[in-house]
Amino acid sequence: MSEKASKPVKPVQDSLYAKREEIYPREVHGIFASWRVAMVFLTLGLYYILPWINWGEGRQALLFDLPNRKFNIFMMTLWPQDLIYLSALLIISALGLFLFTSVGGRLWCGYACPQTVWTEVFLWIERKIEGGRPQRMKLAKSPWNLNKVIKKGGKHLVWIAFSLWTGFTFVGYFSPIRELAVDFINWDLGPWETFWIFFYAFATYGNAGWLREQVCIYMCPYARFQSVMFDDNTLIISYDEMRGNPRGARKRGKEKPADKGDCIDCGLCVQACPTGIDIRDGLQYQCIACAACIDACDDVMEKMDYPKGLIRYTTLNEAKGKGLHIFRPRVFVYSAILFGLVVGMVWSLATRVPVGVDISRDRNILYREAPNGDLENVFTIKIMNQDDKAHNFVISIDGMPGAVLDPDEPETHVESGEIGETLIRIRAAEDIIKDRSTTITLRVTASDDEKLTDDEDTRFIAPADWFQK
Amino acid sequence: MSEIEEIPKIQRVVAVLWPSFLTSGVAMILFYWVFSPGEVFPELAASGVSNMAFYSATFLFLWLTTLTSCLLSCYFLRPCSRCND
Repeated sequence: MSEKASKPVKPVQDSLYAKREEIYPREVHGIFASWRVAMVFLTLGLYYILPWINWGEGRQALLFDLPNRKFNIFMMTLWPQDLIYLSALLIISALGLFLFTSVGGRLWCGYACPQTVWTEVFLWIERKIEGGRPQRMKLAKSPWNLNKVIKKGGKHLVWIAFSLWTGFTFVGYFSPIRELAVDFINWDLGPWETFWIFFYAFATYGNAGWLREQVCIYMCPYARFQSVMFDDNTLIISYDEMRGNPRGARKRGKEKPADKGDCIDCGLCVQACPTGIDIRDGLQYQCIACAACIDACDDVMEKMDYPKGLIRYTTLNEAKGKGLHIFRPRVFVYSAILFGLVVGMVWSLATRVPVGVDISRDRNILYREAPNGDLENVFTIKIMNQDDKAHNFVISIDGMPGAVLDPDEPETHVESGEIGETLIRIRAAEDIIKDRSTTITLRVTASDDEKLTDDEDTRFIAPADWFQK
Repeated sequence: MSEIEEIPKIQRVVAVLWPSFLTSGVAMILFYWVFSPGEVFPELAASGVSNMAFYSATFLFLWLTTLTSCLLSCYFLRPCSRCND
């Protein structure tokens, strides 16, 4: 660790109601910091790269094409009617969060939350321009001079540029990003695209640059209720009071004083904390489980030649000497439900046929006599083409041998994403009508692809008095 | 001092801007899930207003509405004892 510790360190986030003091988290290195950096690259890498990937010629792989009301998700095209899948995805995500939380506590907060990963990038920029924690604190206290203007101004300029890129990418998920890029370069963006780029950029700049831990404390709904998913076997970041107390400073390399625990009270765990708490006071709502304090403390323990893990991932049961139980009924139940939902959704998506049919009967007449003396029922058929190209759909009838369609082989052309409507008559001679109401099946099939097919049942109605004898 | 006074300003700002943002976003998605802008505003749609404009304007309108509601909630949450001051 290059930065020198200063003492004493008071936790900044002492009280929820106190005026907020700026937090200058100290940079830490260690296994958890490395994990976080890896997650920053993974999550933000995906975020910035995904919209540029094409699936097939000229088709953006991931595009929530709001103007045309359709969603490209790799090889699939989903329509507003498919919102059920989005709901399923949200339920799966929520359940996944329950599972991870009950096993590993706030893993999401520490490693994957957009607020965390973007803040990490903003902090990195801040460090590169303004320096480490002591330099940043010094700069903040120093009077305004050229150096301060250059450093602070430079930092904000880089932040703003990065935010604009973020906002641009965000809009690129909703409006084709390659066209958007051309429009952006020529400064020929539509008014709403411009608005949303700046809106999202402003949100990123504000949340990751200015608000930081306040987003977690005041805005995050998950932070408020995550503790209900905890039990005594949930991994939490915890200071080993038995081993650490009583705390106290000591000389390095000397024998450990008999009246002191392992905590040398250097305060590095507090300096490293991005939300400004002291983990030694116990588990707190503000802790986002980023494990920066573990990395900071392990480093110190190593230098002192003490065993690592004075602050570590542990469970309440383990701390009480009852052992570590990761796999427990709750975990199995969450996993089973999650597995079932994922399999169900994948199966449903894989077998999804992108055509839908809806039949409605002519409301005015239940039946009527055709010119040749046959009985006739009239239906309106709506065909929803959810495929990404246009098709001709042929309608056929099943379930009533001898019944015929008029027109003969009705064929309806429906554009991609559109709903086509057609009127058909079903005719049956008196001798083949066996009942007052006969269930029939109307099938709609694309003329160029017989897999694109859907059917719906309806009823053929005959006069009641025919069957009253 | 009552507790409401001790709540940091940022928390109060967040309590107005943030829930209204979330709920209006969800409301906008649900609304346009059922209706397409062309069905709701046929004349405007025919005159060339883009779907993006409909979604955005609807969202902002809803946000303004829910934001007003949040503001009023905060206003009525002020302790009654202070009305006599």
